[in-house]
Amino acid sequence: MRTVLLITRREFLARVRGRAFIVSTAVILLILVGYSIFIGSIGAGGDSGTTTIAVAPETEAITPALRTAADDQGRIVRVVPVADAAAGRALVAAGDADAALSGSPTRPRVDVETSLGSAAGSVVTVATTFVAQQQLLPDPAAADAAVAAAQPVVVAARPDDPARGLRIGLGAFGAFLLFFSIQTYGAMVAQGVVEEKSSRVVEIVLATVRPWQLLLGKVLGLGAVGLLQLVILSGVGLGVAGTAGLLVAGAGLAGTLVSVLVWYLIGFALYATVYAALGSLVSRQEDTQSVLTPVSIVVLVGFAVGFNLVVSAPQSTALTVMSLIPPWTPLIMPARMALGGVPVWQVVAAFVLTLAFTAGVLALGGRVYARSVLRTGARVSWREALRGR
Amino acid sequence: MLEIDGVSKRYGSIRALQDMTFSVRPGELFGFVGANGAGKTTTMRIVLGVLDADAGEVRLEGRPIDAARRRRIGYMPEERGLYPKMAVGEQLRYLAELHGCSAAEARAATERWTARLGVAERIGEEVQKLSLGNQQRVQLAAALVHEPDVLVLDEPFSGLDPVAVDVMSGVLRERCDAGAPVVFSSHQLELVERLCDRVGIVRDGAMVAQGRVDELRATNGTDGTGATTVVVHAPAAPPGWADAVPGVTASRTEHDRTVVTLAADVDDQTLLRAALATGPVHEFTHRRPSLTELFRETVGDRADAGAA
Repeated sequence: MRTVLLITRREFLARVRGRAFIVSTAVILLILVGYSIFIGSIGAGGDSGTTTIAVAPETEAITPALRTAADDQGRIVRVVPVADAAAGRALVAAGDADAALSGSPTRPRVDVETSLGSAAGSVVTVATTFVAQQQLLPDPAAADAAVAAAQPVVVAARPDDPARGLRIGLGAFGAFLLFFSIQTYGAMVAQGVVEEKSSRVVEIVLATVRPWQLLLGKVLGLGAVGLLQLVILSGVGLGVAGTAGLLVAGAGLAGTLVSVLVWYLIGFALYATVYAALGSLVSRQEDTQSVLTPVSIVVLVGFAVGFNLVVSAPQSTALTVMSLIPPWTPLIMPARMALGGVPVWQVVAAFVLTLAFTAGVLALGGRVYARSVLRTGARVSWREALRGR
Repeated sequence: MLEIDGVSKRYGSIRALQDMTFSVRPGELFGFVGANGAGKTTTMRIVLGVLDADAGEVRLEGRPIDAARRRRIGYMPEERGLYPKMAVGEQLRYLAELHGCSAAEARAATERWTARLGVAERIGEEVQKLSLGNQQRVQLAAALVHEPDVLVLDEPFSGLDPVAVDVMSGVLRERCDAGAPVVFSSHQLELVERLCDRVGIVRDGAMVAQGRVDELRATNGTDGTGATTVVVHAPAAPPGWADAVPGVTASRTEHDRTVVTLAADVDDQTLLRAALATGPVHEFTHRRPSLTELFRETVGDRADAGAA
């Protein structure tokens, strides 16, 4: 065990001290900050357009107040008079209006599709207050009470999870981090294997340690570097999100972080072993890329398709299926779990399938590695690497 | 004692080792010679467990060698290798610790060996920035830094300058005198002859001759017939003069001398009388073959060796 730890320590220190670690961390941070600002600006931009409000006849008294409030707040509000409350709701359902007001002008019912945007909400709230103030009530106390009571009652046809955007953001963020870490550090494992082969130092090392110890130490060491970077990035990411006002309580942040880390460990073990085995087949750094490409493509497809589905169609069957296919599970499942609503059986199935698959890959990859790592010269064929003794 | 007992190894259809057997006693310097591809490196790799043998056994101190015992071996592979981007000192400490030294022992040994091998001032530099000669010295330090009880060195002298050869020879002798079995391979046969207590000659994956250099000489090669070679310089003798002499199995001319092979137990004085009969004899010597010649006879001329 001490042997494995020594190897782990060497790999860890060799990478963390390297310039590549600092540079890549900084680059990812920049991307992350840019991404957060971008998402934040989309959220803020949603309120800047015209808000269309349908008003039923019994609520008609609010119309001038709506215009005044909109002007005061610099918003553009289009008021559409409708025949009754039902007609207003129909407009909202059809997407022709953002909100439909009905009932008392001081306590109007506001029908919306998912939620009343914060800008529109503020316009309606101020308008009800104006209406209440304009009621000529003799008693100042009663007038104050009326003003205090004036408030819209929002009824959403399909109530929205207020944290939904954040959940999608977290899911996409998690998927991106996993993809990045697995790709970067998996490739580093392969490079490390090839470096040892091309510099021939592997023969000295293997004269005193077993191949599985070297492989395990390497995977643990680089996995720890990846984990460190993941923790730094998550921490900074959360800090940025916090200052950008994107954090909403109850979005399951802690759970998401834990699941991203757990899936990272499984996914890294899986891919690092594959990459190490692939790296052991070649003897020159120039050949590394070509031997890694097929697996890189699998990772990339999983990430690209998964990422898009998480953002655009989080409930789709395609995403569900992909998240249950072991090589893709670690890339996609944490994002789905961040979105919420994943049945427990799927999480368990994904976990068990991936663990079983990883165990198989470890056994096979360890074997390929042990057989190939001392073969220098031409690329070792799969047949040679796998053939039984 | 390091024993290699009946070790065989195949690479696909190529037979790399066939029943390789020899042993190296404590305090003995064993030279391992053979043509390229004869199986020296394969043998050493099997001793180190870097390769698995198909058959046979390697024993150290009478017991089959295992991972723990292998840690006590100092190994220098034929293909030199160190981590190119790792500093010399860090690298030596790491290798010492991998071999089971504590951190403190590793540090002390690193300082001692870098000083001894003249690379102490390079201890903080990356290996890839060193000259080739200094890389070789660091490589030797890497084989010695865990104070091994056994040394297995594949071509330790290749690429060394004369000063480094002396340092290396001194270190080998010293480990040997301290009681370690030391085995090394080399193509520099004069060096092997001068340095080694015993020599093993390998051909086609098998040990074809082993023993002290003078023992090997006494048998005049390795055919075991006890034939001797005599060089005669008799300028007046006609070509083929020796062929009719009793006991002569072969004769040939080298420059103006006649090289005569005598069967075992033949009185060489008969040959001398026959030579004197042709005229003056300026030279009449038993050829004491150098290791190089022994090697050529054993390995170089495959047709002869195969027939013998």
